[in-house]
Amino acid sequence: MVDGLYMLENKASLAVIESMKTVRELSWSGVPSYMRPDVWRLLLGYASPNSDRRDGVLTRKRLEYLECVSQYYDIPDAERSDDEINMLRQIAVDCPRTVPDVTFFQQQEVQKSLERILYTWAIRHPASGYVQGINDLVTPFLFVFLSEYLEEDMETWSIVDLSPQKISNIEADCYWCLSKLLECMQDHYTFAQPGIQRLVFKLKELVRRIDEPVSRHMEEQGLEFLQFAFRWFNCLLIREIPFHLVTRLWDTYLAEGDALPDFLVYIFASFLLTWSDKLQKLDFQEMVMFLQHLPTQNWTYQELEMVLSRAYMWHSMFNSSPNHLAS
Amino acid sequence: MDLSTSQPEFDYLFKLLLIGDSGVGKSSLLLSFTSDTFEDLSPTIGVDFKVKLVNLGGKRLKLAIWDTAGQERFRTLTSSYYRGAQGIIMVYDVTRRETFTNLSDVWAKEIDLYSTNQDCIKMLVGNKVDKESERVVTKKEGTEFAREYGCLFLECSAKTRVNVEQCFEELVLKILDTPSLLAEGSTGVKRNIFKQKPPQPDPSASTCC
Repeated sequence: MVDGLYMLENKASLAVIESMKTVRELSWSGVPSYMRPDVWRLLLGYASPNSDRRDGVLTRKRLEYLECVSQYYDIPDAERSDDEINMLRQIAVDCPRTVPDVTFFQQQEVQKSLERILYTWAIRHPASGYVQGINDLVTPFLFVFLSEYLEEDMETWSIVDLSPQKISNIEADCYWCLSKLLECMQDHYTFAQPGIQRLVFKLKELVRRIDEPVSRHMEEQGLEFLQFAFRWFNCLLIREIPFHLVTRLWDTYLAEGDALPDFLVYIFASFLLTWSDKLQKLDFQEMVMFLQHLPTQNWTYQELEMVLSRAYMWHSMFNSSPNHLAS
Repeated sequence: MDLSTSQPEFDYLFKLLLIGDSGVGKSSLLLSFTSDTFEDLSPTIGVDFKVKLVNLGGKRLKLAIWDTAGQERFRTLTSSYYRGAQGIIMVYDVTRRETFTNLSDVWAKEIDLYSTNQDCIKMLVGNKVDKESERVVTKKEGTEFAREYGCLFLECSAKTRVNVEQCFEELVLKILDTPSLLAEGSTGVKRNIFKQKPPQPDPSASTCC
């Protein structure tokens, strides 16, 4: 499934790969898990591609995160505004119910880390603040950066085994990577979420172009794309596929870089049309319920790779025609 | 599959809506009602939807229930779901005072703004009574709010399922008692409640290219 990865491995260490373009191209098809922390930090532009400077920059960034936490999070409520208190309260309500089906995230210390990351991010991004679903987006980063220190099986992980220094570094990496990821999606989480509204509209147009019968059926039944695809864009499909496949999906996301929002439209069209035949047999109510609980529980890399390669193909076919999405 | 040609499986179809602050247990209440289970759920993003068939007042009823996200940021999205609802359930958490005060500060106003149905039945539900030791909102306060606002009231626990069915049953029985709502829910017009369109972004302002 991931030929590119082995090429990446054979080319020895990342330090010798000068070209970020090559890293992106190879990462698109999946990154071996032991390289993922380094590759993700590079792809997001958090770690410097220049290996001489890399450690220095990371050390500085991690210190900066610690300073933010002590300045914004580790303060008494009396020093917070009402809005900030409300935001912290909302984050505290959401952390325990973040990916509730993965037991690792039920550990109290993990939830505390999540709370610090989210609150610090929200305070530093006042145009959006904390929006539900951003909590989901931190979880792949937490998993990947923890995997640098903890052994194979996530179910057996215990965050208390790690030193405070390590936990703080992991949190900082999650914080900065989340910030970088959301840089190209700022208006997805601001008032009325115009960025998501725009992409849902593009998705509807693309699906109409690719699969007219299913598009017509959905329209006849009165099904709105917002009724199911809003969550897809808001949580980047984390809610729709098993957690163990999420990091592979994110290899492709992060390889896309700034082009990610537009490419999401192709991935989600491909994801939706996995069930093209099925959808055409359902009425409105059945469709809404089907789309909100898609049968992906037993998915393996194979199904996911199919979604991604079809998205790639459609992107090559349709993205080159200049007015393909004009209605 | 096509409802217009086959024998309808129900006499009336009603559209219900769940609203209230984030984390009060709207989705848990709905899950408890539709599938008799309780589990930890992720926060709802946008809206969720479930259907339940019930027999009440000698009628076969299909309940189409929209479950909305509580966070303020999603309100532009959720506001379109008030339209055409015959029943609205306002949920608060008896262990969190602010979820109760927000009923008058936020949720009653949302209903005034977006509900299109004058006769729409409203029901106030205080959830999480299983956490009796953590209770901060008394039953009396709930009763008083309901009297003032003119709505039904019950306390329940989605976790222990105490009063869960009653919440929906009382609401639906009141809908069945209201001729204008009954007319809307009759099978002849059943498709219409789904044809409502959520607001769309202005395509001319937002497409690529």
